[in-house]
Amino acid sequence: MDPHQRLLLQRRLGVFRTLAWGLVLMLGLIYAWLQLVRHAEFKQLALQQAVKVRPVPAPRGLVLDRNGYRLVDNRRALHLVIQREDLPSKPEVVEALAQALQVDPAALARKIQIYRAAGKGRPLVLKENMDESDIAVAERVRARFPFLSMEVAPRRVYLGDELAGHVLGYVGEVDEDLMKAKPGLYHLGETIGKDGYEASGNDRLKGIDGQKRILVDQLGQEVASFGQVDAIPGHTVFLTLDAGLQKVLQDAYVGEAGAAVVLDLRDGGVLAMYSSPSYDPNLFLNRLSQEMVDRYLRNPARPMINRAIQGIYAPGSTFKLLVALTALEKGVITPQTVIYCSGKKNFYGREFRCDKPTGHGALNLVQAIAQSCDVYFYTVASMLDIDDIYATAEKYGLTELTGIDLPREKRSRIPSRAWKAKASPRDPKWYAGETISVGIGQGAVGVTPLGLARFYALLATKGRLLTPHLFMGLRNDQTNALEPAPPSPSRETGLDPRLWSVLDEGLSEVVQSGTAAANPFVREIAKEIPFSGKTGTAQVATFVDRAHYARQAKHLKDHALFAGYAPREHPQIAFAVVVENAGFGSTAAAPIAAKLVQYWFVNRLKHPIPPPRGRLVDPFSPEPQEAK
Amino acid sequence: MRERLRSLDPRLLWVLLALMALGTLTLYSAGRNTPQAGIWLKQSLWNLLGFSLMVLLSAVDPRRVFRFSFPAYLLGLVALAAVLVVGRKIGGSTRWFVIAGQTFQPSELMKWVTLLYVSYRLGTRTAEAIGRMELLGIAGLVAFPMLLVQRQPDLGMALSFLPILLLIPLMKGLRMRWVLLLVVVAAVGGVGAWKFVLKPYQKQRVMIFLDPSADLQGKGYQVNQSRIAIGSGGLFGKGFTSGSQTQLNFLPVKTTDFAFSVWAEERGFLGVLFVLGLFGLLLSRLFDAAAEARTAAEAYFCAGAAAIFGLHLLVNVGMVAGALPNKGMVLPFFSAGGSSTLSFFLALGLVMGVLHRAKVK
Repeated sequence: MDPHQRLLLQRRLGVFRTLAWGLVLMLGLIYAWLQLVRHAEFKQLALQQAVKVRPVPAPRGLVLDRNGYRLVDNRRALHLVIQREDLPSKPEVVEALAQALQVDPAALARKIQIYRAAGKGRPLVLKENMDESDIAVAERVRARFPFLSMEVAPRRVYLGDELAGHVLGYVGEVDEDLMKAKPGLYHLGETIGKDGYEASGNDRLKGIDGQKRILVDQLGQEVASFGQVDAIPGHTVFLTLDAGLQKVLQDAYVGEAGAAVVLDLRDGGVLAMYSSPSYDPNLFLNRLSQEMVDRYLRNPARPMINRAIQGIYAPGSTFKLLVALTALEKGVITPQTVIYCSGKKNFYGREFRCDKPTGHGALNLVQAIAQSCDVYFYTVASMLDIDDIYATAEKYGLTELTGIDLPREKRSRIPSRAWKAKASPRDPKWYAGETISVGIGQGAVGVTPLGLARFYALLATKGRLLTPHLFMGLRNDQTNALEPAPPSPSRETGLDPRLWSVLDEGLSEVVQSGTAAANPFVREIAKEIPFSGKTGTAQVATFVDRAHYARQAKHLKDHALFAGYAPREHPQIAFAVVVENAGFGSTAAAPIAAKLVQYWFVNRLKHPIPPPRGRLVDPFSPEPQEAK
Repeated sequence: MRERLRSLDPRLLWVLLALMALGTLTLYSAGRNTPQAGIWLKQSLWNLLGFSLMVLLSAVDPRRVFRFSFPAYLLGLVALAAVLVVGRKIGGSTRWFVIAGQTFQPSELMKWVTLLYVSYRLGTRTAEAIGRMELLGIAGLVAFPMLLVQRQPDLGMALSFLPILLLIPLMKGLRMRWVLLLVVVAAVGGVGAWKFVLKPYQKQRVMIFLDPSADLQGKGYQVNQSRIAIGSGGLFGKGFTSGSQTQLNFLPVKTTDFAFSVWAEERGFLGVLFVLGLFGLLLSRLFDAAAEARTAAEAYFCAGAAAIFGLHLLVNVGMVAGALPNKGMVLPFFSAGGSSTLSFFLALGLVMGVLHRAKVK
């Protein structure tokens, strides 16, 4: 190279060198901008995607019967979920996912949209309570959609299946309507009780979700966990139910529809409550299949109705005690009043028939109750005004809700002039003839089995009005301490003891020598455990539309009822039994009452029915539960 | 052996050793807890092999090397043509030969061979003796392998041939009308490239570069995550093997294209400045070599080498920061890869040879 060329080259290289350092400086400035000026912003972004807050679902409290037998347990279940921050946004991704999961793309998109708007904490559940084949499918789908994850969560198990379906209820995801109705109280995807005690005892059972902060990698998988706030499990709840007695009722109702309730006279605790046909709450934990819809929701027998608190039945002759009480208190009859029954009697130009076409002859009140003479009570009713009967019903609590701790209880229907005016605006006048029907528990009057049982509990306790309840107490899972339920409210109604003893004698005679004694099984049990009660045979009647009633009545058998208490002296339990379309109260309902009396006072002490499944937990010496 | 090592330039050597060490540490951190955990070891072997070749080459008189430049250039063209036919297709491009289980990318080396041959051609005569037609021929020598590389397709690699053309202004000086001509050619070429040459995915990259937030889950995702990694590193960094973006795999392709993001996240702005400084010293030393070279051809090669290293630095470091489009161009000594590593070392071996001869002269 000649010196001139070298000089020229070196000068140009100097420019290049400057450019090179300029490049280094420029890159340095870019990095200063990112790492110094915008550091906080990027640090936040890095944290946001690596640190996630995930809820730790609280195990729901167990439900035990009064003896500590498990009625509701928890098992582990696997759910396929999407964490909130991983929700897919692209329509084509959602569509592909829906195809892979074999669900409707529009429904999935809508679900994601709703969840995106309102979901908090809990992940979006795509498939719940997966069985083995579900898990295999989910694993395959997850390979294509890494934002899916599996979540282990406790799942409810109802140990007796249909044993106490209506009482226990079931759990499910909170629905949109409820969230709208009570804003701020629930979060989307939260598991709440939907029916039965699961619903009414939800606050005791649900516990408090915990949360944990976890470090996730790019696939959303947990790498490390820190800062966990433990979930507080729900309380273990003892119900007043006796699983064995419940089983007696379940067995007694095989093939029959109806409901029965047994109350503890000490405090109004519900010892058994069975509504037939029952349902298996376990089946309601997953989304309903078509088979389930047909079997339960479209079934004309309406198994989802808890007949014990939602079924309104004409009480039939079981209502005569209230009519008698009204007449005695009004003074229109005395216990010694004798009325002659010829088998039928005319009132207001219409003939009313007695059950016994040949007539009962001359009867006093005790005999009339024992023989369930209709003519006697037609006559008594004819001396009363409907509003008198209503006032007595009101005084003895039959017109109010019983206040049981179950959702959607219905009120018994006791007619009055005011009621008629409201219920039948086209024909608002109360006719005296209608009172005659009410005199034997027909016509417009309708009671729930629980309301009826509560009235007979009142008769058994000489006038104490109890509040039926299921909650007996709980075991605080933090302290392991047993906390009994606060005493349930009850009130004295001021029933005249002299009047009461007449009614008590009548009810005793029903079983000893009256209508119920016709059944040999009832007689046999009553010999061992004398008990009291009243049969009822109710025609299915609707007051407003007589033509309709007449047409229906031909096709439907009567409902059989029996309500009473046991034992006769110093009663401990009261009960009401309704068997739909089963005929006479004495042949269909009284034997069920006898069975439960037999179990409660004899067999329970000798051969208790074993609990459905699960281990006994003695409520009076609590021991640690089995490992979950 | 002592004799051999004396041919190494100490100032270049220290910079080189520092970059190799930092690059290997970065790869160790990037590969942790991934299937690529051993990548730092593998890269160390490539470094060792490359270093040895560098030492060998530095002892050879550069003039003897230049003598092989024409056959090497021809051979390179054949290799680039051949790879299109028998090469392994990975991720939509046919860039690699598979030899004994190892992939080899001929275009990496061809870049340097082209520089070698062009330097040789330019260096044989004085600057005044080279006419315009000759210069066009030189441009053609560069353009031909570029087009073959773009056929693979590999835009980043094709562009990395361009710095060779900087030799022309270096030799002939720069005139304003040439600059204007370059602007016009670039504009026409840019439009032409957009219409006829660029593949759809390459166009997409340009679009994403213009608006990175438009596609955060797709192609823009990589750069976005890289910016988060860099920015969250702050002044001091999160510490070795403690970068959340790196260790939790949010950062994509972190052992190759985005290796520098790993360094920036874990070592922070101070670490970035240190490495940029090392690269500045590297480039500076290459220009020293060009200035001290005995022959024009040697000077051109050294200057061209600086330009190629500079382009890699600019495009990779700028790309991972989101300042330049996302196209795969590796960062020397940081990004893992056999072909590129060997090529860089061979080039530096020749540069060391130039420095050595200049000293012993």
